[in-house]
Amino acid sequence: MARALDWLEERVGYRGWARGWSEEQVQGGARWRYTLGPTLVYLFVQQVALGILLASYYSPSATDAWASTAYLNDQVTGGWFLRGLHHHGMSAMVVVAVLHTIQVVLAGAYKRPRELNWWTGLALGGIVLGFSITGYTLPWDQNAYWSVVVRAGIVTSVPGGEWSQQLLQGGRELGNLTLTRFYALHVFVLPLLLVGLLWAHVRLRRRHGVTPPAGLSEEALVRTREPLWPRQVFMNVVAMTICGGALLAATISSHGAPLMAPADPASNYMARPEWFFLGLFQLLKYFNGPLRLVGAALIPGAAAVFLLVLPFLDRAPTRRLRSRVGALSGVAALMTGLVTLTALAVAEDAGKESYAAGVAAAQKDAARARELALAGVGPRGGVAVWENDPEFQALALFQEHCATCHTLRGKGGEEAPSFDDWGSRAWMAAFLRAPNEKRFYGGTKAHHTMEPLSAEDLPEEELMAAVEYVLSLRGDEAGALDAGLVKRGQALWEEKLECSGCHEVEAGKEGTGPTLAGHGSRAWLERMIVDPTAVDLYGEGAEMPKFGAKLSAAEISTLAGLIAVERADTL
Amino acid sequence: MAADPRDPGEQDASSRRKILKIGVGALGAGLVAIPLAPALGFLAYPLDGAGVAGETGFLAVGKRSGFGADVPVRVDLYADRTDAWNRTKNVKIGSAWVIEVEGGLRAFSTVCPHAGCAIDFDPAATKFTCPCHRSFFTLKDGAVEEGPSPRALDTLELRVEGGLVAIRFQRFRVGVVEKVVV
Repeated sequence: MARALDWLEERVGYRGWARGWSEEQVQGGARWRYTLGPTLVYLFVQQVALGILLASYYSPSATDAWASTAYLNDQVTGGWFLRGLHHHGMSAMVVVAVLHTIQVVLAGAYKRPRELNWWTGLALGGIVLGFSITGYTLPWDQNAYWSVVVRAGIVTSVPGGEWSQQLLQGGRELGNLTLTRFYALHVFVLPLLLVGLLWAHVRLRRRHGVTPPAGLSEEALVRTREPLWPRQVFMNVVAMTICGGALLAATISSHGAPLMAPADPASNYMARPEWFFLGLFQLLKYFNGPLRLVGAALIPGAAAVFLLVLPFLDRAPTRRLRSRVGALSGVAALMTGLVTLTALAVAEDAGKESYAAGVAAAQKDAARARELALAGVGPRGGVAVWENDPEFQALALFQEHCATCHTLRGKGGEEAPSFDDWGSRAWMAAFLRAPNEKRFYGGTKAHHTMEPLSAEDLPEEELMAAVEYVLSLRGDEAGALDAGLVKRGQALWEEKLECSGCHEVEAGKEGTGPTLAGHGSRAWLERMIVDPTAVDLYGEGAEMPKFGAKLSAAEISTLAGLIAVERADTL
Repeated sequence: MAADPRDPGEQDASSRRKILKIGVGALGAGLVAIPLAPALGFLAYPLDGAGVAGETGFLAVGKRSGFGADVPVRVDLYADRTDAWNRTKNVKIGSAWVIEVEGGLRAFSTVCPHAGCAIDFDPAATKFTCPCHRSFFTLKDGAVEEGPSPRALDTLELRVEGGLVAIRFQRFRVGVVEKVVV
């Protein structure tokens, strides 16, 4: 090992380089407040490593983004954890960056000759927010989609914004180009910019050294100075560990990062940005119409300019807090404003029932979509995941095999009875009054033999008794029955009505019309689909084809179930 | 500040430095382990057989009457396919050469056993040939006649039922003498 290192040293000369770093003299000694910058570097390096891992599964296209994210999050081993670390790592960077900025402001480290440290630092902060905005978009879930929609709207409200918005999102519409562009920014452009600026930031920091407390005399600074290694490095690593531990805890307790349902431009969605943008989000609410620009650009712009020119505003020759009250209160006012706006945004949502309901519905959708995605998502994109839904499949099956003649939910042919509310009490009563109406047998070629029962033949209450009796023949699936009505209906059936001339009521018996035992139950519907020409159904005269050989047992059962759930009152 | 190892204060400082050094190493290793440990399982996930999963049941390719002796027919095989997060219905998953030999049908994979190029039919030579590295195979049983292929063309299971021909598609390892399913 030692020989290998010697070999490397002879060629690279790394020891001198490492010594140069470790022996840097920290004026005034190691301090905890110097650990924030290094912690940000740690977070950035970890974000890069995690980003590369995620990129090995993620696919940046409008059709694949959601499905690949759901796949890596919910199926790939440890995917939820790594994506969660990356997601919360972003929040951690914002938190530590703000703390770092506060530390710099309190220490007066933005003052001459450190103006460039300050500006590169501010630029780095801007890049971190850029990472957040681009990264938030990549999963192409509801959060991602609606956040881009809203942000694009904000950008267009600024003069020249329409052009930059279209340049960023790749044209007038959101889609594949939006994702490829955001992806390129997120994984190539922003990291390169950040590394370049970070290099300059760290070089400048080393050139000017740390910024020790203003109260220490020259003599005290020299007396207490010590090399970076090992005490300051140790403190840095402890700070990183605290940060890493908090990140780990946040990731595990939240079970990773949220992933909502796939982006759906046709849906309603309560779009909210990341928590650290809530202040700006709230600000937008106060400015309407032509004043929009004030909330969207002028106030945030003014705040940014204030921070940029801070070194010029604060010209006091000393870094003592007392002589910098003006500059410090400016920054404090800015922070207070941001925190207040954030709190207002949170409080406003917390008090709104409609918001809570919207969030609950969105979470239910998300859970369902992710469950369905486990079976694989169709190639038409994220929303194709809903095609895995059994109800969607049942409707597709109906569309393919039944809808030429039958109507369901208002769509389909009229050559055979409609299934809207088919088999319910109301349906049966209406049917007995007018069996040859279009929605019953009116559209068929031959099934017109049943006579209508007018109100004179059968008053309303007797009709309902007859309906209750026929319904009782359905067995277990009839639902709750009125026993008195059933009895009365049975008496009517046996004594007054002429139905039994064609319809038998006992299973297995055959009449000229369908036998009513079990009529309308799932099992009966399945038999109808398999073979409507059975002697106890419609017999040889049935117009409907047999589907027994065409469809699988599972498909037949699916269709029977679909029709059975359409009736509102008996299930 | 010359270090004197006999000075007790200096010894204290050096042992404190040692503790700090160990602390930096241990905490640093812990931090690296947070993303690294799960990363291994994460990256190795497709090795578990997840990823692309093709249908290996018998796939209908056409009527029996569509195939004859002398001239092989190339058929495409369609099946439902799961590719990581996508599930696609009825996509082309491969192809096969079908030829009649002594009254029965035979199906050969169009993947060359040498390096995986697509096998072609050479009507002038009446042989199967691989255009990449010039291997030639007989029409009858796919035996190697010439070239670098380590084994004969891979036969695929074929069955004829009710006048319909169906083939079971499989991929085999290329470049080895034995025919091993991938």
